[in-house]
This record gives sequence, structure tokens and C-alpha cells, in this order.
Amino acid sequence: MTADDNRLNRRDVLKGTGAAGLAGIGLTAGCVSTADETPTPTESSGGGGGGGGDDDDTATPTEGGDMGAYEIGMVNSLTGSLSAFGARNERGMELALESVNGVGIGGRELSIIVEDSESQAQAGVSAAQKLVNQDQVPFVIGAVGSGVSLAIYESVIQSTDVVQLSQNSTSPDLTNFPGLLRMSPTGRTQSTALADIISEDGYDSVAVAWVNNDYGQGLRDAFVDAWEGDVAYDSPHDQGQSSYSSTVSEMANSEADAWLFITYQPEFTAMAQEAFSNGYEAQYYGADSVQGSDVLADTPEGSLEGMKIVTPSAAVEEQNYQDFASRFEEAYDQTPSSWAAFAYDCVITAALSIATADEFTGAALQETVRDVTRPEGEQVTTFAEAMEVLGEDGSPSDIDYQGVSGPIDFDENGDPVGFLQIFSVEDHEYVSTGFTSA
Amino acid sequence: MSVTDRLPRTGLLDGYTRAERGVVGFVVLLMLLLVYGLVTGGLGPTYFLYLIGLVGMYVLLSFGLNAQWGYTGLINFSVAAFFGIGAYGTALLSADSSPIAGNMLPVVGLFVGLVVAAVVALVIGVPTLRLRTDYLAIASLGLAEVIRILVQNQRNYTNGSAGLRGIPGFFEGWPVLETFPQAMPTLIVERLTLTVPFLFEVDLFGFRLGQSFWQGLLNVSLVLVFVGVTYAMLRRVHRSPWGRVLRTIRADEDLAEALGKDTYRFKMQSFVLGSVIMALAGVFYAHLNLYVSPGDFEPINTFYVWIAVILGGSGSNRGAMFGGFVVIAIREGTRFLGDLLPAAFPTLGIPFTDLVVSFPALVENTYATVVSNFASTRLLAVGLLIILVMRFRPEGVLPPQRELIWPEATEGPDPGSDPGTKAVSADGSGASRGGQTDE
Amino acid sequence: MSVLEYIANGLVFSSIIVLASIGLSLVYSIADFANFAHGDTMTVGAYGTLVTFGFVGGLGGTVLGLPYGFFVALVVGIVVAAVVAVVTQRLVYEPLDIGSIGLLITSIGVAFVYRALVRLGFGADPREYAVELQRPIEALVPYGIRMTVHDVAIVGSAALLVTGLHLLLQYTDLGRKMRAMADNPDLARVSGIRTGRIRIWTWLIGAGLAGAGGGFLGLYNNVGPRMGFDILLVVFAAVILGGIGSVYGAMLGGLLIGMIDQMTPILGDVGIPIGTEYSYAIAFVIMVAVLLVRPTGIAGEAGS
Repeated sequence: MTADDNRLNRRDVLKGTGAAGLAGIGLTAGCVSTADETPTPTESSGGGGGGGGDDDDTATPTEGGDMGAYEIGMVNSLTGSLSAFGARNERGMELALESVNGVGIGGRELSIIVEDSESQAQAGVSAAQKLVNQDQVPFVIGAVGSGVSLAIYESVIQSTDVVQLSQNSTSPDLTNFPGLLRMSPTGRTQSTALADIISEDGYDSVAVAWVNNDYGQGLRDAFVDAWEGDVAYDSPHDQGQSSYSSTVSEMANSEADAWLFITYQPEFTAMAQEAFSNGYEAQYYGADSVQGSDVLADTPEGSLEGMKIVTPSAAVEEQNYQDFASRFEEAYDQTPSSWAAFAYDCVITAALSIATADEFTGAALQETVRDVTRPEGEQVTTFAEAMEVLGEDGSPSDIDYQGVSGPIDFDENGDPVGFLQIFSVEDHEYVSTGFTSA
Repeated sequence: MSVTDRLPRTGLLDGYTRAERGVVGFVVLLMLLLVYGLVTGGLGPTYFLYLIGLVGMYVLLSFGLNAQWGYTGLINFSVAAFFGIGAYGTALLSADSSPIAGNMLPVVGLFVGLVVAAVVALVIGVPTLRLRTDYLAIASLGLAEVIRILVQNQRNYTNGSAGLRGIPGFFEGWPVLETFPQAMPTLIVERLTLTVPFLFEVDLFGFRLGQSFWQGLLNVSLVLVFVGVTYAMLRRVHRSPWGRVLRTIRADEDLAEALGKDTYRFKMQSFVLGSVIMALAGVFYAHLNLYVSPGDFEPINTFYVWIAVILGGSGSNRGAMFGGFVVIAIREGTRFLGDLLPAAFPTLGIPFTDLVVSFPALVENTYATVVSNFASTRLLAVGLLIILVMRFRPEGVLPPQRELIWPEATEGPDPGSDPGTKAVSADGSGASRGGQTDE
Repeated sequence: MSVLEYIANGLVFSSIIVLASIGLSLVYSIADFANFAHGDTMTVGAYGTLVTFGFVGGLGGTVLGLPYGFFVALVVGIVVAAVVAVVTQRLVYEPLDIGSIGLLITSIGVAFVYRALVRLGFGADPREYAVELQRPIEALVPYGIRMTVHDVAIVGSAALLVTGLHLLLQYTDLGRKMRAMADNPDLARVSGIRTGRIRIWTWLIGAGLAGAGGGFLGLYNNVGPRMGFDILLVVFAAVILGGIGSVYGAMLGGLLIGMIDQMTPILGDVGIPIGTEYSYAIAFVIMVAVLLVRPTGIAGEAGS
């Protein structure tokens, strides 16, 4: 009986809360209006006092008039399995912010809200939700992992008109989504190039070890499509396994003399060490992520001799890249990776889209983001140069931004023109042996 | 034996334990903060709805685990597996990138997801439920990993690591609700400035409620329905004779056996029930996220649900709700914390002088490391939280009390208590206090 | 012949798992709960070894391809792991009075704390010992066995430690008391055994073995914050397979699980299309299958 009384009391509390809530909604109803069809700034059709007449319909409290910064968002792998790439992106992003804010966009600065995707789809989606729905950014740079980029696009971006530009995702799957732009070329080009190189080197049987995620699966699928010979071994492995001996043993037992690795640095290092300790010899080939100074440091001399790696290249022979590289080395005491170059270009592209757009909304930025890098217009290689050409009131087709990572030039699927660089390991150093395009 | 026994039985918060009052107070405060945030435009409404959706999902998962651990004492570490089965079950049927079916109605997917979960629960239960509790824990974890590995590698059936995209919203195919988000007009709530002369001025509102908002509202309504139905069902079940047997099994399995109950059968039923509820959460997740991948099966998700249940109160559904809420607060709230904390350890300026106190390098470096590596810090905080909760309040914040008392049994002095409640909580409300409901 | 090679790989991997599972089984039998922080204890030991090796690296000559400094560093790693575990036991587990399930949950929290601290201190990237990589032993290559002297060192050291433990358990006073406590703690206390002290010794030895396992795992693979947790499930499978409460069961279980994991390529060789990506899955399924037949594990006793 007493229990019932208590339960009744609780129910009363709930009722009270509910009533209060409804009352609250009723009160605010007077301030509510509906939008017309056109997304132009509001005529306040009735409702509420003061305030109104915002010129943009983003409601960030930070737009304190004309001197506020333009805020865009970035989903980066600050932690998790891809955090090494996240760190490279951060460096490129910071350098780009310096370039942009040194000149300014119509007197205003650019600021980037960075959220962590933890290299996971779930966390990446909630990061994007925060950026899009809480921080109300019209432009999101994200993400590193291909699975994460796709998850973000499907679940958050697709139903809005926010622009999404992935800095590092290489899975061929992204090509199927024209609304999802990316700065790094599709992995399909790498896989095709690798297939060509391996068959030119005279091998007809290859053993493929690939990491079991969207990146590895995408590149492996593209490779198997492009490869005409025999695939003697074709098995995935997980990141962070305690032992890769069975992978290496099986590759050896497959009797293929060409071994292709589509995986990340730590995993490849473990496998190379394992192969060395077992006395296996084969011709190694690798996709982009197996390259790194840590790999060289942790493998014995001569163990990787002759290995060929295909990576998306930065425009290393261009002046703007070299300036970028020297600024990078000054700031961070290391040479930039192409991932940092991609992130750099993402920020510059975003800034240029903002500069040429009619207003700071997703819809307007969608109109300009592709055109600022397309071939119509004067070629510019730095942000400062671009702003000069644009002047007060430029339009996106006045300029053709050539990034430090290449000419960009988004195609109709949102993919950039792909340039690849081929490295060879000679005397335990990476030596560039050529370029090829998609 | 607390003061409230002798107070007259009137008023709103009577009969609530101290813990419950604390929680109510906390929740009220939080509600006020949230309302303030919403009203002043500090908190985006669509994002808020998304968070509520996540909370609802964790609440469902906690309900499911509660039905196994809280009621029957089963240690089940395969929560993530059933969550994933629910998600994949509906995704495989309704997504357009599904390799084995696709483009079916999500309701069918819901049904199939739940059925598959029940079947898998049987399959996992048969070998494991006869084991002693800690073996059950490891075995269930191992089998959950088997399921994860299968889903990740059977690319022809599940798309492997690429995951399943193109999952429609849950209300696809329903007459009104399918196009509800598109059909509803975009509301613009004007920004107001509220000025109290000489006191303060505050900006209110100023947001635009478009399609995402209505979609979010729809999702939240859906999860609330799921949560409500599950809660009602579990309450019913718990009070039934079946539930009583489960509680006896939890307290003392030998006693239950001695009373002639086939404990294995009861444990299996409880296991299947809990697993189906977890799969329900997975189904909701698939239609919320519109993308599923093998990463959803990772064991870390299981551990988070356990934290929710332990923290909230094992065996209590309200506790499970509270726990689910806390877990989301930890996971998502720390995003904001990263923004709020200054990057460098602040130095103290002594007022009216030019002196500045700065702390030794060790402190500053540690602070810098902690703040810039937020994921590690969050992991540390979660670990410490678990340890502290187990140390100081092992039964959780809201342990089951009223649920365990048979309503009729609270008349008169009668240890209507349950032999199994070890509710030796800080406010001394042991279950063996006679008569009154809790204290 | 490749089967021999797989067996050799299995021996090496098993050595690491055996070290970890014995440690886990010891702690399980005395402290009576499943210690989920055991894997991260291995990680702590590995990092202890890593740091020390950075200091004492090139000490003196080498044995089996490893500088003496490595063994010194390994001992330090063992001690670090043992000390950390005992401190945790005193600070965290002992004051709790909540039964084995509660302790299990708590140990999950402890595992998180270990891992987070390691990550904060050392970063998330995997590292290697600065030890030169070796080539396979020439004499064994004709038999298809490709082991390096490092692998021999791992197997040998593990064998040494296990034998040492066996001698300890069977022939020393401490060992006898440990076995008594494992069998029947109350009786042991009543017969005058200082159970508190024995408990500490058990934790020291158990965690120390885990630290050794971690140090060797770092040599075998690499040193990263997740290394222990990634291998933990497999170690649990080994302990349960062998039977809780039996150190010898844990040894057997560790050997079996390690072998199964490394020998999965054989399935592919004989035409069964199960790839190595399923090796953990196979190990777990076998564990569950054994439990179906013998619910207490191969050598275990009926538990409480």
C-alpha cells in the first residue's frame, strides 16, 4: 500500500515534468516559424521579438558579427589503430591554418574544430554528429579510415548539404559516392599500378597479405581484379596480432616469389622480421601504408632490399611542395608525408571554397568546392596567390588551385587525379624510382 | 532505520532511499542544465536527440544484461555479439548493399534479428550454461569472439570489413512515418534576446529544425517505445513466479536445485531473454547509424555495458537506465572536456602583484600529456571509476530494492526481503529490515 | 617439411603462452578469481624490460644471440611486473570483500588503468628491442625447421622457468605451502601456514611469470600497449582448457593452445578451407568442446 503510494508519487512527478515540458514548448511556440522553400535568409514571418534576421541559418553562438572566425570541422584519428596517420594530418592541418590565417578570408580567420574518431566507425559517427548538429559546421574534413568516412557520410552527411572531404581514405568504395570528396586518390590506382609492376617484373604468381579492414579489403579486391596471373595466397590478418608467423609461413609455402603487402607499418615490420628470421627470400611489394622510417629502423639491413612500394605522391617536383616541405621541416624537424600534404590541401581547398562562396552554408560551399581546383581559371599554387587573383569578389572558376599533393581536380565521383610515386628500397633507404598517373 | 521511517508519509520524495534522492537530484539538475543549454542555443537540438538515442540504446543493452546478470547471476561477456547479431540481422535484410538479401522492410529485419539472436543464444547457452560462473564468463567471451571473426571473414555473406551500407530508416514502408522527416516543415526558431535591465542579458533559441531534427525525433520516439515495452515486460516477468525462481538461482543455485527446479532450463530462458533484448538494441542501432561493421562486435562494447550495469546497480532496471546514461556521458562528454580544458597547465597570478606562480615542470608535463592524450586519460578514468565503484559501492548506485519486495508482502512486519539481496549499501538499508519498503 | 616448421613455430608461441597461463592459474588458485589484468601485467613487464634494456643494452657478450644485458633487463621486467601486481593486490583487491565475480570486474578496471598508464607514458606506437635480428639455425634448415637462436632462447628460458617452478612447488617449503593453500585455504591457515605471506609470494611468482612472458612476447613480436590484452583471451582459453587450479593443467593447456594457433595453416594444406584468420576462433571452439566433455577442464578440480 505504501509502495503504491510511492509509486503514485513517482507517477505524479513524471506527470508534473511532462506538463512542465509541454508548457515550455507552448511558450516557445510563439517564437517559432517555418522556413519557406528557398534557403535564403529569413523573412521573419510572425513570431517572437527581437533578435531575428540572422544572415545565415547556422546558429553557432560564435558568430559575433563580422570578425568571428569561420568554423569548419575535422574528424581525425587522434587515437586508435590509425593514430599515426592522425598525427601526420594534424601537422599538415596546422601548417595550412598558418598559411590561411596569415592572409585571412575577407578579413576573417579560419578555425577548425577537431574531433576524434578513435579509428572506429561508431565513434567517428558521433564525432560527425557533434560537428554537424552541435557545432553546425558546413564543411567537414574527415576521415582517415575508409570505413569511418563512409559511415559518417551515410549516417550524418548524406541527408544534409554539409560538404565532406576525406583527407586520407583510399578504399575504392568511396568512388561510388559522388557526394563524398576525397583528397587522396583511390586505392584502385595503387592496386592497378602494383599489378602492372609485378607482372612487368616477370612474376606470374603472387602471395597477397592484406589487413582485415575496409582499406585492406578494398585494395585487395582492386588488385585481384587487375591482376591477371595466379594469386597463390590471399588471406587477411588483423592489426595488432600477437604473432604473424603463420601468415609468413603460409606465404612461403605458397611458393610464390612475389609477395605483396597491403597492411600497416607495425604489421609489416613484424612480418618482415619474421621472414628474415626464417630465412625466407622473396621479392616484396607494398602498398602505401607499409612505408615508413620506423620500418627501416626496425628491420635488418638488406632484408627489404629491392622492395617496391607504390604510394600516392605529393607533387614533389613542384615549387609549392618544396616550399611546403621546407616549412614543414622547420616546424616539425621531419620530412612531410603525403598524408600531411593531403591534409594541408584539404584545409586550403576548404578556405578557398569559403572565400568564393556566396554565404557560409553547406549548400553554397557545395557549389564552389569542386570548381576551385578544376582546370578552368588561372593556376595558383598557394593560398595567398589564390586570394590575390580572386580579389574582392572572385568566383571559383577564376582559379585552379594546384595543391602540394598534386593538381587535385575532383572528378564527377569526387576523386582527385591520382599521381603515384614508386619507391624502391636500395641500401636500406627509400629511393624514388618514378611516377605514374592513374 | 533511517529518519524517513518516522516522518509522516506525505511529500514527493518519501520512501526514496538516500541514493535515489541523490540520483533524482542529479537528474533534475542535469535536466535543468540541458534545458538551459537547449534554450540558449548552446546545445544543438539534433545532437541532443542523437545522444538521447545512444542513451536509449545503452539502456536497452543494460536491460538485457540485467535480465541475465541481475536476475539470474549469469556472467555473460558476449553482449557485443548479440548486439551485433541484431544489427547485422536487420542490416542484411534491409540494406541495399547486402550480399544475401536486401531491400526488405526493416520490420522484417527486426523480427529476423531477434529470432537469430534467440537461436544463437541457444547455441551458445548449451555448452556454457552448465559451467561454473567464471568459466561461463570466459567461454561466452570466447564464443563472442568466434562470432566476430566469422562475421568479419565470411565476406560472401556479410561484406566483411567493408560493412553494410544503405540501411534504410526503421520506418521504411510505413504510411506516414516513412516520409515524416521530409514532410515536416523546417522550423526556424528565432533568436531572442532576453534582457533583464541592470541584471543580465541572455540570448535564447536561434536554431533551425530541419530534416535531421525530425529524423532524430523519430529515432528517439522509437527507442523510447522499445525501452518502455522492454521495461514493462521485464517488470512483469520479474514479479512472476518465473522471476522468483531466477532470483533464487542467483542467490543460491543449490537451494533452487534442492527445491526441485531445473536450474539449467531457467538459466537458458533467462539467457535467451536477455540476448533478445540486446539484439533489439542492435536493431535500433542499425537503423540509427545506417551503417554496421564488424567493429560493432568488439569486446570493448561488452565491457562498457557491464560498467553501465555495475555502476547503475545490478538487478535493478532503474539502475540500468542510470548506468546507461552515465556510460554515454563518459564516452561523449569527454569530447567536450577536451575542448574545455586549457592546453597548458595554468599559472597562478597573484593579484595586485606582478608575481606569477608556475608549477614545476613535472606537473606541467604531466598535465600536458594527460590533456593531449584524451583517449588514454578517458581509459584511465574509466578504469579508476570501476575500481572505485567496486570498492565503495559494489552494489551500484541504484541497487534493486523495491523490485525485490513482493507488493503484498510489505504489509506488516515481515521480512519480505529476498535472501539474495546483498544490499549492504552505505545507507544501511539492508533488505532484512522488516515492513517498510526500503529503509 | 612444413609440418615440422609449424610445430617449431608452435613451440615458441606456446612457451610464451605457457608462462602467462601458469601465472594466471597460480593467481586463480590462490586469489580465487579470474584476473583480467593479467594480460596487461605482461605488458607492464615487457615495458619494464624495454626501458631497462635501453640502459644496460650492450653489456658484455651475447648468448643465443641476445646480449647479457637483455637477460638483465628481463629480470628487471619480471620484478617490475611482480611488484606492480603485489601493490595492486594490497591496494585494490585485498580491501574488497565482494566475491570472485566482483573481483573479476575490478580486475577489468585495473587492466584499463595499467594500459592507460602505459599509453600515457610511452605513446601508442609499437616498439622493438634494439636487438639484432638473427637468421635461422643452419643445422635445422634441411629438416624444414626454421628457428633462430632467439626462438631457442625463448623456449629454453621458458623451460628453465617452468622447471624452476616445478622444483619450487614440489621440493621447497614455500611450494608445499602454496599447494596446501590452493587445495584448502582454511585448513592451511588452521595448520599454521602464514597465508597472507604465501598469498603475496604467489602473486609475485604469478605476475613475475607473466612479466617474463611479456618480455619474450616483445622479443618474438613487438612491444605495444595492447600486446597483453590481445593475447589475454588465448591465455584464458589455455588456463580453462587445462583446468583451473592445476598448474600442470595450465602448462598443458598453454602448449595445446599455442600449437593449435600456429598449426592452423595445416588445414589449408590438407584442403580444408579454413584460413589462419580463424586460428583464435578454432582455439576457442576447441576449448568449449573440451568443456562440454569435461566441465572442469582437462586437469581441473570441481570448483566452488
